Amino acid sequence: MAENSRQPVLRLDSICKSFGGVVTAKDVSFSVYPGEIKGLIGPNGAGKTTMMNMISGIYTADSGEIFFEGKNITKTPDYARARMGIGRTFQTPRFLQRSSIRDNLLIGADLGNRIGFLQGFLGKSSTNFQSELDEMMEILHFRFDWDDDINSLPFGQRKLLEIVRSLLSHPKVILVDEPAAGLNNKEIEYLMEILRMAAKKRNVGVLLIEHSMDMIMDICESIVVLCFGVPIAQGTPAEIATNPAVIEAYLGREDDD
Amino acid sequence: MKNTKKTCLKGILLLLGTIAFYFVVRRVCTSLYTMMVVNIALIYTLIAYSVSVMLGMGGELSFAGITFMGGGAFLVANLTTSRLGLQLPPIAAFLLTIPFFAIIGFVVGLILLRLKSTFFTFSTIALVQMSYTIYNNYKPLFGGPDGIAGIPTTTLFGLKMMDYYDWFPWLLGFAVLIGLFINRIRTTPMGRSLASCRDNETAARVLGVNVYMTKVLAFTIAAVLSAMAGGLYALQTKFVSADMFTYASSTKYIIMAMIGGVQSTIGAFIGALIVQVLPQLLKSFEGYLQLFWGVSIVLLMVFMPEGIAGIFRATVRRMKNKKKKTAVEGGVPDGGK
Amino acid sequence: MVNGVAMGMVYALLGMGLILLVRAVGILNFAQGDLMMFGAYIAACLLLDVKLPLWLMLPVAALWFAVIGIIFMFTIYWPLRKATYSQATIIATMGASIALQELAKLIWGSQPRTLQALIQTADGKSAVLRLGATTLQWQYLIIIAVGGLIIFLITQLFEKLYAGKMMQAACQDSYAANLLGVPSVLTICATYIIVMCVCGTCGFLVAPVFMVRSTLGTLQLRAFAGVVIGGFGSIKGAVIGCLLVGVIESFSTMAFSGYKDVTVFLLLIVFLIFRPNGLFKAKIGDKA
Repeated sequence: MAENSRQPVLRLDSICKSFGGVVTAKDVSFSVYPGEIKGLIGPNGAGKTTMMNMISGIYTADSGEIFFEGKNITKTPDYARARMGIGRTFQTPRFLQRSSIRDNLLIGADLGNRIGFLQGFLGKSSTNFQSELDEMMEILHFRFDWDDDINSLPFGQRKLLEIVRSLLSHPKVILVDEPAAGLNNKEIEYLMEILRMAAKKRNVGVLLIEHSMDMIMDICESIVVLCFGVPIAQGTPAEIATNPAVIEAYLGREDDD
Repeated sequence: MKNTKKTCLKGILLLLGTIAFYFVVRRVCTSLYTMMVVNIALIYTLIAYSVSVMLGMGGELSFAGITFMGGGAFLVANLTTSRLGLQLPPIAAFLLTIPFFAIIGFVVGLILLRLKSTFFTFSTIALVQMSYTIYNNYKPLFGGPDGIAGIPTTTLFGLKMMDYYDWFPWLLGFAVLIGLFINRIRTTPMGRSLASCRDNETAARVLGVNVYMTKVLAFTIAAVLSAMAGGLYALQTKFVSADMFTYASSTKYIIMAMIGGVQSTIGAFIGALIVQVLPQLLKSFEGYLQLFWGVSIVLLMVFMPEGIAGIFRATVRRMKNKKKKTAVEGGVPDGGK
Repeated sequence: MVNGVAMGMVYALLGMGLILLVRAVGILNFAQGDLMMFGAYIAACLLLDVKLPLWLMLPVAALWFAVIGIIFMFTIYWPLRKATYSQATIIATMGASIALQELAKLIWGSQPRTLQALIQTADGKSAVLRLGATTLQWQYLIIIAVGGLIIFLITQLFEKLYAGKMMQAACQDSYAANLLGVPSVLTICATYIIVMCVCGTCGFLVAPVFMVRSTLGTLQLRAFAGVVIGGFGSIKGAVIGCLLVGVIESFSTMAFSGYKDVTVFLLLIVFLIFRPNGLFKAKIGDKA
């Protein structure tokens, strides 16, 4: 695949960040291409979620730059980045507890259809909402009552639903943080299907943090490995699997006898 | 489609309810005084709406309603009594409150909403204190402690509002109309964005909601509503003075909204009526009334923080769940744990 | 000027109670001033109605304060500690504020009562100290002295002694505190008692100046301002903020008379905008 001829949808350039004395990112640079599923892995505390927070705009990097579709977004506020097309899910799904499932998802659609407050008030609404939703529900194999409380759904479904909400906002790149945690095997299957659908059918770039190596190896086309904020390897799954630095980071060095 | 049918039904119910309300109240209010009480309740409803928007939808406790109510009242008073060398017909003065306080509310909101929630609340309290002092002291504009009297009678569509009875249907209609407006916000992107600011700010941000500006917008709407209420108050009672706009009064409106249910528009309406009318009904207990008030607020917060509307909704939900349990099919997802 | 410091001391006592409740219990108490008002009434009642001598009245009043503190905790705080609606507690304290005012009116009548100053001249007026050209009321000096002492003691308790740290732990994570053997209910109870005693003493001190009446509680608004200016982080900050408010208020009374409120609150708003964390930053940060 001639990826070099395409422009990356997301590009990080020498991102550095530390909290107090703790370095969470040091010279991190990588790119995500449209339709690519890229894994971001590393042992716990490696700074992966921090990285995502910086891309979303929740944190600001100490130095370095972030580019979205070629535009420098390093100084853009978080909501503006979301409106440009950076989607995000969280390790613990963040939903509005006091709203129905429908309303929770509609927020995603509001963003996707770029409906302003005034227009929304006057009655313009997202036309594709139902059909897009149905399509994704097909993949995820579950149905529910729209007016139910979000809390009535089990954890796994809420995690999947967060991805749905994000996809309803028509992002160009989506940052997915440990989506498989707490899901059973069936749900993980559906998860991978929906991510693949987003990447291949909608050309969304996916940056995926995951601890489940099976899933990473299965679904990712390229992987970045972080260890204590430092990128120690980048490449295809095959390359990463045999990279000594990566093995050492995860398993520790073998004793020299 | 099912949705439009439901909406039509709700609309008809609302219309019937309003008309019924009108006739019941007309029968019950045999004296001018009782009519005034209801009228004022309707005016207060607007402020309760503003609390509903700011606190219920936006999650921010703001005491600023009273400042803007005073502002609206004094603006109308000044413009209709040629104090400033200008004399406008009452309705024009009233309508002027809308753009005037939209701007002021917006600017104040921009300043105050830079603060986090508790600090924001404090700043609104500070605002109320300041505005009271200014209203009470600056004679040229606000008449000092004596206030401004002599506001002329309003003429609406050629009808003269001679007494409270004349005002009643218009106030009722206005309250209902504004209520519909507020309720509409709830089901639109703005309402959802506000809800996200209230419930989960991080989620709001990553979903493209400009939390700051959304709250400022809510504040502006709340300011305009309060100003309109003030303007109507001035027109109706034909007298305005700073005593009406103290910090102590501001708590009243918040309680109105909470009794009815801060999340519900009709709750604000009910709450305003209760707070305004109940003291009249319990006149014989006058000495104990305020005590009862204070205690009931505490009890309310403990047992019914969602107010009357909340109880209503919870009951509906329970009935719905019971129906679901008895049905055989019911949203059983595959692969669910 | 002394007036300003004295009033500042009053605000500081109130403000200290506020901060204690915020940090050790986690709620913003809108009834703080009214607790003080109630304390003033109790002191007045014991002195004037029951005619207790001063030395006896103090411990008896303290006992009453403790009782009220406990009642207050169980009515306002206890049922609401698991409330889903964060504003509910604040509004509940607003309700308590109204209830307290009315209760005072019912028990003791709505006429304001006069309480004599602690140090009086022969004809019963509040004694004054003459220092050169200035005349200072002794009562103000007493307020400053006693207030300062109380603040010092409380600060020692909470920031230095183990007991204080226990109380803070109980608030911040009651589950963990319980596991570590800190009985959270007791510590919270203790906090309420202490706060109420401080409020009550404050009321007693301030009564000769303002008269004992049910609206005494409005002083709390300035205490709020002081606490915010000083920052929610520490008792020290709240105290300094409140003293500042007191001094500024007295200066603006001289300069602007009617508009003194405007000055104080404008200052508050300006502060909030430019220094939202107050003069002293809070030690507790939030995990993003």
